[in-house]
Formats: sequence, C-alpha cells, structure tokens
Amino acid sequence: MDKFRMIFQFLQSNQESFMNGICGIMALASAQMYSAFDFSCPCLPGYNEAYSAGILLAPPLVLFLLGLVVNNNVSMLAEEWKRPPGRRTKDPAVLRYMLCSMAQRALIAPIVWVAVTLLDGKCFLCAFCTAVPVTVLGNGSLAPGLSAPELARLLARVPCPDVYDGDWLLARDVAVRYLRCISQALGWSFVLLTTLLAFVVRSVRPCFTQAAFLQSKYWAHYINIERKLFDETCTEHAKAFAKVCIQQFFEAMNHDLELGHAHGAAATAPAGSAAPETTDGAEEEREKLRGITDQGTMNRLLASWHKCKPPLRLGQEEPLLGNGWAGGGPRAPRKEVATYFSRV
Amino acid sequence: MEKFRMFFQHFQSSSESVMNGVCLLLAAVTVKMYSSFDFNCPCLARYNALYGLGLLLTPPLALFLCGLLANRQSVVMVEEWCRPAGQRRKDPGVVRYMCSSVLQRALAAPLVWILLALLDGKCFVCAFSSSVDPEKFLDFANMTPSQVQLFLAKVPCKEDELVRDSPARKAVSRYLRCLSQAIGWSITLLLIIVAFLARCLRPCFDQTVFLQRRYWSNYVDLEQKLFDETCCEHARDFAHRCVLHFFASMQSEMRARGLSRDAAGRGPEPPEMPSGLDGDGSRKAHLRAVSSREQVDFLLSTWYSSKPQLDLVASPGLWARGLNHRASTVAPGTRLSQHTDV
Repeated sequence: MDKFRMIFQFLQSNQESFMNGICGIMALASAQMYSAFDFSCPCLPGYNEAYSAGILLAPPLVLFLLGLVVNNNVSMLAEEWKRPPGRRTKDPAVLRYMLCSMAQRALIAPIVWVAVTLLDGKCFLCAFCTAVPVTVLGNGSLAPGLSAPELARLLARVPCPDVYDGDWLLARDVAVRYLRCISQALGWSFVLLTTLLAFVVRSVRPCFTQAAFLQSKYWAHYINIERKLFDETCTEHAKAFAKVCIQQFFEAMNHDLELGHAHGAAATAPAGSAAPETTDGAEEEREKLRGITDQGTMNRLLASWHKCKPPLRLGQEEPLLGNGWAGGGPRAPRKEVATYFSRV
Repeated sequence: MEKFRMFFQHFQSSSESVMNGVCLLLAAVTVKMYSSFDFNCPCLARYNALYGLGLLLTPPLALFLCGLLANRQSVVMVEEWCRPAGQRRKDPGVVRYMCSSVLQRALAAPLVWILLALLDGKCFVCAFSSSVDPEKFLDFANMTPSQVQLFLAKVPCKEDELVRDSPARKAVSRYLRCLSQAIGWSITLLLIIVAFLARCLRPCFDQTVFLQRRYWSNYVDLEQKLFDETCCEHARDFAHRCVLHFFASMQSEMRARGLSRDAAGRGPEPPEMPSGLDGDGSRKAHLRAVSSREQVDFLLSTWYSSKPQLDLVASPGLWARGLNHRASTVAPGTRLSQHTDV
C-alpha cells in the first residue's frame, strides 16, 4: 500500500512536468524531423504550389493530432464527456479546461514546424517562385517576349539550381534572396505573433474568473488521478484474484491426489499443520480482493463504475442500494482516507 | 535512484506498459535499420520494380511477425482462444480485445518502415522510374522509345554513365520523389486521423463492456504469469526434495552395506526432509502431494483442459474447509464502502 501511494505521489506531483516534458520532446522532434526531411521541390508549374502547401500544412496537422493521441487524457476526456451522469453531475467547465490544456500542449509542435519552415525559406521559395516580379528584379524588357506558360515554366525552375536556364531573364540568386527574405520576415512575424498571443492569454487570464478556473483545474486533476487509481486498484485486484485462484487450484489438486492415493496420516498431518500458514497468506490476499470474489460481481462493479460514478461526497452512510451491495464500513478507514485526500 | 526504481516498477506492473515499451523499442530499431541499410537499385528494366517494391513490402512483413513474436500476449491470446471451456466459460469478446491490442502494437514498426521509405523516396523512384510517362518531360522529345526506356531504367542510379549530369534524369527523379513524399504524408495523415478518431470515439460505444474486457484480458495475462511462477517454485521444491531424498537413500544404503565409518550407531536417517526444508517447505505444503512426474503432468494438463471457475468462494478444498470459522467475517459487504474508501 505504501509503494502504491508513493508511486501515485510521484505521478501526481510530476504529472504537469511529465506532460510538459512530452510537449518539449515533440517540439524538438518536430525541428529534427524538418532538418532530416529532404525537401525536394518538383520545379514544375502546377506542382510547386501543391507540394509546398502540402509540406506547410500536412505535417503540422499530423503533429497536432499526434500530440492529442499520445496524450492519455484524450480518452479520459471522451469518457468523462460520454458517461451517464449517474450519481455525479457533469461539469462542462471541467471538460472545457481539459480540452483547452490538451489543445494548447498539442499546438506547440505544429507551431515549431511552421516557424522552422518559414525561417528556412525553401518551402516559400518553391511555392511563390512563379510570382516573382520579373520586371522589377530582372531584365524587365525581355519579359513580354515570353508567353505566360513559358514564363511560368521558366520561373518554376528557380528553386532547382541544376536545371534553371533563365539567367538571361532573371538571375537565380536574386530571386532566391528576395523570396527567402520575405519568407524569413513572415517566419519571424509568425513567431512574434504566437509568442505575444501566448503571453497575453497567460497574463490576462487571472483577471477573468480565476476562482472558477482554480476549481476546474482541481477537478480535472482529480478525475485524472481517480482514473489512474482505479486502474491500479483493478490491476492489484486482478493479481490477488489470480493468486488465490491458482492457490485454490493447487490445493484442490493436492486434496484430490491425497484422497486418491490415500497417503493417510502422513498427508493429513502436514496439511493440518500447514492450514494456519496458508490461512495467513490467503488472508492477506483475501483482503486485497475487498470482497469481490467472482466474475459476475466484478463485471457489475466495472459496469457501475462507468454508468453510475459515486458522488463527490465522502462520508456517505447509506448503503449503495442502486448497485445491489450493502454499504457501511468501519470508521477507521474513512479517517485514513480523509488524511490522504488532504495531501492533495 | 529510488524514484527511478519506482518508476520502472510502475511500468512493469502493468502488462500494457511493458507492451508499449516493446513496441516503441521495435519502432526505434526499425528507424536505425532503415538508416543503416545500403539501398542499391539494380537499374535494369524488369528488376527495378521487383527490388523497389520488395524492399518496400518485405521488411515490414518481417517486422510485423517480429512484433507478434516479441509480444507475450499473442501466445496468451491463442491459448485463451484454443483452450477447452472446462469450468470456466470463454468470452470471445476478451479474445477479440486481446487480438486487437496485439495487432495494433505489432503494426507500429512496419508502418514506420513504410513511411520512412516513402518519405525518403529511393524505393519509389527505383520501383516506378520505368513507368513514368515520358511526355511529361520535354527532354525526351528526340529519343526513340527503346532509348527512353533504357534511360528511365537508369534514372535511380546517379553515377551511371548514361544518365550522369543529365537534367532529364534530375527532373524525373525529382518528380517521383515528390510523388513519393506526397503519398507518404497522405498515408501518415490518414493513419493519424484514424487513430485519433478511434481514441476519441471509443467511449461513445459500449464503454462498460470495454472496461470489463480490459480487466479480464489483463487478468488472463497476470494469471498466466503467476501460474508460470508457481510452477517454477514447485519445480524447484520438487527438485530439492528429489535431490535430498537421493542423498538420504544413498546414505542409508551405504550404512546398510556397512560401508559407513560412522560408529556412533545412530539409527537410520529418516527418509523425510531435514527440518530446514520443513521450515519454509510448510508454506508450500499444498504442493506436497504433487510429487511424481505423472501427477505433475496431470496437474498441467488439467490446468489447460479445465481451468478453475472464476468464483473463489464457491470452490471446494482447503478454502472452504480450513477457513469456515472466518466465513462470518468475510461477508462480501464488509469492505465495500468501496467507492469512498480509497
């Protein structure tokens, strides 16, 4: 039980830092992915824009959804949203808080990708090379001599130094520098804007409904911890159940074989003297079972956990008749429970 | 160090966490394998497609099978599926749950390989360079069809004499890479959307059944592990007794033949175990009757053919006999301020 509690304290105290850590790792992974990705502009008039738009938009979407999928709280949010109210009312503010905090963390990696893409400039160059103002940057007098598709085909090759053959019209370096400059300006503006937005949201939020915010945050953490604790308790129960089941199997086998082979006194004596020891070991395991000793009861417990969550009010005296169980426990454990919760 | 150990124990305690760890490890191994593999396109007309597609699809198949092998739960699942019903009825829902979780984890590494191959582009270029439509590229206007085919087959090989420094080669290669990357990102996007929807929408369908199946599949896994541990303990106990029994009988035989130099005239050693074993063997007294090969075989085959029912109070044996005096204090309701008692 001690170990159990220590694990939970570790998880609970470090939960926020754990999630922030994951978020940071994903941001780094996003930057690393960009540098490992080999951007290769097709240098064909229609394809350039499609390729660049794809590279600018698809990976951020993937990273955003990945950030949500990886976050265990998504399924917790969906569960909390979908469960029947039972004996515990649902608070939409808590759900909104959970959604916001998950979305904020998931947005960081896509923002890093978009920022890095713009600051690097290759994507922007690929997309807008056909829109470069030739009359201003190159030999403007020669431009009208070319038809529009010809011009487009020529300019589309600007990102590819090995196939560009339009130096007579427009020096490649000039176009590249021009477009990269604009791209970097956009990139920095984007970074500034997002940082400013984040700063404003963070600073200004306490001016609005701080009390409600604190409540939502508390209950969001509570739901998270309660779910983890429930899963841990179920695992402990399953272990105890399995241990007792196997012990009983061996004992039954032992019993059958003893009767079958009639070992007589030699067999019954150790069995009799061993009874107190096995009783003590079985007693410990039985305690862990908390009275749930068969499949039907366990299934009912799990069903009612979802359908009819208990109210957020400790110190209930009346029996949980809705679930068909007699309630009422000794006072001592409740005192212990109160101490535990006050630590939160 | 203490925290690290607890963290590690926490992950090991849940079989799902262990499986997730194995899955991630396999994905990391896949990435390393791909980056260290030396891709070598043959640049010959018919072999290109074979090599390219083979490399795109064969390693994922092997990785999928590895993923199934590395996952203990696949064996547990097959056992649960094939066992006779015995005293415990079978729930196909639990087997389906275990199957889907095993398959999902086994699919991670192959998908990583396929996506890396597509995003890198070499496989795709090698496989489809001969299938490109030459009319898209103006550079092929003055080449005969057979020359075009030969040229296209050599596109993946940058250093080949025929295509070295050729703008046409670069154009084709770039086009194919671009297509390959687009397909790769599209597949990634599709998969991630499917994963996200599956995760979000699952609680909308039968959440209670899901909770029950998850619990019982975890239970089956734990039970199998515990049974293996108990059998190991029993085997150790069995071996210990067997060896001591052998030594004791050897000693008594030697004494009987008068070869022993022990003149103290002690009586023959009793054939039972020395008290050291009795001390900790008494905890395992319930295993003591299982003391021959046939009995062990019988025990193991009974475990498979007739698993005990999932009802601890109803089972016969020492449980009911030895613990009857405690039955009144073990009413199911006693400890059940369950929901409020953490």
